Formats: sequence, C-alpha cells, structure tokens
Amino acid sequence: MASRYDRAITVFSPDGHLFQVEYAQEAVKKGSTAVGIRGTNIVVLGVEKKSVAKLQDERTVRKICALDDHVCMAFAVFIIFIGLTADARVVINRARVECQSHKLTVEDPVTVEYITRFIATLKQKYTQSNGRRPFGISALIVGFDDDGIPRLYQTDPSGTYHAWKANAIGRSAKTVREFLEKNYTEEAIANDNEAIKLAIRALLEVVQSGGKNIELAIIRRNQPLKMFSAKEIELQVTEIEREKEDAEKKKSKKTV
Amino acid sequence: MAATFFGEVVKAPCRAGTEDEEEEDERKKETPEDREVRRQLARKREVQLLRRQTDTSLEVSLLEKYSCSKFIIAIGGNAVAFLSSFVMNSGVWEEVGCAKLWNEWCRTTDSAHLSPSEAFCVFYHQKCNPSVFLCQCSCYVAEDQQYQWLEKVFGSCPRKNMQITILTCRHVTDYKTSECTGSLPSPFLKALKTQNFRGRVCCSLLEQPNIVHDLPAAVLSYCQVWKIPAVLYLCYTDVMKLDLITVEAFKPILSSRSLKGLVKNIPQSTEILKKLMTANEIQSNIYT
Repeated sequence: MASRYDRAITVFSPDGHLFQVEYAQEAVKKGSTAVGIRGTNIVVLGVEKKSVAKLQDERTVRKICALDDHVCMAFAVFIIFIGLTADARVVINRARVECQSHKLTVEDPVTVEYITRFIATLKQKYTQSNGRRPFGISALIVGFDDDGIPRLYQTDPSGTYHAWKANAIGRSAKTVREFLEKNYTEEAIANDNEAIKLAIRALLEVVQSGGKNIELAIIRRNQPLKMFSAKEIELQVTEIEREKEDAEKKKSKKTV
Repeated sequence: MAATFFGEVVKAPCRAGTEDEEEEDERKKETPEDREVRRQLARKREVQLLRRQTDTSLEVSLLEKYSCSKFIIAIGGNAVAFLSSFVMNSGVWEEVGCAKLWNEWCRTTDSAHLSPSEAFCVFYHQKCNPSVFLCQCSCYVAEDQQYQWLEKVFGSCPRKNMQITILTCRHVTDYKTSECTGSLPSPFLKALKTQNFRGRVCCSLLEQPNIVHDLPAAVLSYCQVWKIPAVLYLCYTDVMKLDLITVEAFKPILSSRSLKGLVKNIPQSTEILKKLMTANEIQSNIYT
C-alpha cells in the first residue's frame, strides 16, 4: 500500500500518512543517541560518540554547535542535531544567519523559542514543497533566555517542536526516554551534579562500552558552554557505578 | 486504462486477456535474436550449485545427495551473523557446497566473476553429525531464481522427515499494524510455521495479515506444499545493516529444539559477535 503514496512528498495516503516525513524520521534513528536534560540552573547535553575513522580529524566531527553567542556569552543558544550530517549543516547555517539578522533588526538576541520556531518552520516548508525532500534531522535546542530560565526544545523532520524537561533523539531514543520518564524527578535535578549524572546514566543505558563513548556539555546560567573531558566523564561514570553498587548492597542487606 | 495520481494515463493489466488482438499477433512473432537474448539472460540468471574447492557442479540436488534431519537457513546479514557467532563457532562445520547466482542486485555486471560475499549461498554440515545442515545466504535471490534455488537444494521430491528453521530480518515498516512504527519495540521476533510443524515456537506468531517476502517465503511455501515441518523466525528491526542489537534479538531461538544441541558457549559467542560487529563497522559520515 505504502509504495503508491510514498514517492512524492506532497501526497497524503488515504489514511492520512505523509510517508516521506515518516521515512525521514527513520533516517534520524540511524544516527547516534543524544539526550538533553533541563535542570533548575543548568542544561545538560549528552551524545553518543561514534567511532571516527583513523585518518579523520576528530575536531571536524562536531555534534554540539553554537547557534548564537552573545558578546559576553551570557545568552547562548546551542543545538545538537542527529540524523543526516549534511542536512544538519544546512539548517544550522540558516539558523545562524537568522540569529544575526534578528540581532541587527531588533537589537536583541534571539530567544530559544524563537530560533526553534524558525528551524521548525523551515523544516515544515520542506514537507510541503514539490521536488524537495524533508530534512532528515531531529534537533535538541538548548539555552538560557533573558529571564535566566533554562530551555530545552526538540524539533523533528515534520517541523513540529515542543519544549521538554528531558528528551532523547536518535537511535534507541525510546529506551532512553523511558529511562528518563522513570528517573526524572525533582530530586534528580535538584542540583547541577545530579542532573549531569542523570544524563550520563540515561546514555549508559544504550551506549556500548561505557563512558569513553560519551560526549557531554553543560550550560550554566551566565556561563559559557563547558565540554567535559574524557577524564571528567570517567569520574562521573565511576561515581555512578559506585552509587549503583551501594544501592544494590543496601537492597541485599534488606532481603537477608 | 487507469489514471495515476499525477494525471498520466497508463494501461492497466487485465487478466481477462488483451482487448487488442492485433497486438497479440505482433507479440507472437519472436525473432531469433529475441530468443537468443532470452536464452542468454536465462543462462546468466541460472542458479548453480557447486563445490567451491573443485569448482564442479553438484550432479544432484543437495538434500538428495546428503540425508538431512535438521536444516537451518539464515537469510540476510544479521541472521548470518547470528548463526556464525552462536552456531558455527560452537562446533566443527564442513562446507558441502554453495549456490552461485547473479541478478540485478549484484554490484558487478560480470556474472562470471562474482565475489563470494555477494553472490553465494554457502551450505555446511556438522562434522560430528552430518545430517545437520546450515545455509548462510547473504545474497539476494530474485523471484525468478527462487524456484531454481529450491529445486537445486531440496530436489524435486524432498524427504519429509527433516525439520527446517529459517532466520531472516525485515524492516519494521513492513510489519502490518495500526500502531505507529515509531512506537514499536524494535527489534522484535515473530514466527510463522507450516501446518506440519509440531514443535514449540520461541516467540509469538506473526499476526494477520501475515505476509512474508522473498526467499524465506519461497522456502516456507515449498515446505507447506511438500508437508515438511518448517518454521520461519522473522526479526523486525529498524536497522537493516549489520547491527548488534538486531542480531541479539534472535537469542530466544537458542532455546528451541533445532538449535539447542548446537550452541555450546553463549558468553564466548557473544564476544565473537561483538568482534564481528567492530570488524564490519564502516565508518560512515552520512549519519551523525
């Protein structure tokens, strides 16, 4: 059935599907897993590192990108994209231009919601034009607004966007989201360190071979983006494992 | 005649016969060149069963030459990886033959020099129990070649006292359900069996409309017609290339009767599988 309604983006199927958009969502699942968590004073972004070819320069493989830097780095919007790399590059370029255009016109930096809406609108346009295919990327857009409140938005190839407290995109996103639904509590994000640990724990559910395949970045209010080094991530992972062991010991003591 | 969505008018196929009789007469006039082209194409697409070491064809079908009590067929990269890591590494297997074929799916146009990775189905039997057979099929067998493959492997009058297990993968979008494919817990296993299969299946049966495709469907239909007990384990996954999680989704089958005696060391097999995955990982920059 699907084969008759999936060749053109502009054709609805009788049961209301836009198959090309759904297939674009499948393309996102081919990328690695990314997770975003909104704390009280912090936003945490974690992503699964994909193995890089031996001769490839690792610095050119970047998933967390800045969309806009304010002069004193007080307000900054970051994006993490999962899916087709080339599509992501195009969308980010357009978003960056829009951020600067907004600043020139209105003399204020963009809010996280504004730029998310811009990206989502751009993605939606490509689901309605003839001869173009949808962008095969989902993005997590984070930052702090003027009011100092942290924001986390997610967009998908259909052009929808929503604000989230915590979300995951990419491969095994469903598993990570289920983990977050169970473990995202007010205590879990009470302080910054707990939010960081929650992001790492969520990624460890699906990432093979542990901490060395995780990339982590945090943004605190009025502070620039901080990328965690491999050592810092290892420390966090060790602490998480120690806490897990302690919890298991307590459980076994109770049953004995 | 029928109109497509784009407004073009096409001739719709009609099983009642063509309306235009003149056209039929024209079609019957086949030139010798047409016949030659057709013969060459048939020769090119022939399925050959041969012994790789000597490059000689097998005179009879595989299962007529050897007696078989158990036959496990893996079709597709992930199913082949599962059998390689869990079954082939737990015993000594001897290659008894291979099926060589060419079709449009092969990357090379040269049908004479085909690489083993893309155009061969390899058959093995266990050295300590030669009636247990295994087939690793990573190539695509086209519709017109499936019957030839079946004849060359099973023969024209197959024995009924064997049990066939087929393992394969399909993309989750092929699974017919009213739910959105994004909400399905892929990868997951489904089974489809012939009427004569009396054993226990290791997962739930494929619900209606229980449609399967390609070579697994051909083998299952063949077994149903010839009353051979057969079961197909179909893994629906969202990752069609070689993937650890998809291969591990086949693990429930290890407890089935057909595979029970064949798998010895599961932890070691899991390690071998992980090594196979890293060895096959193509560093692709398309997806981030």
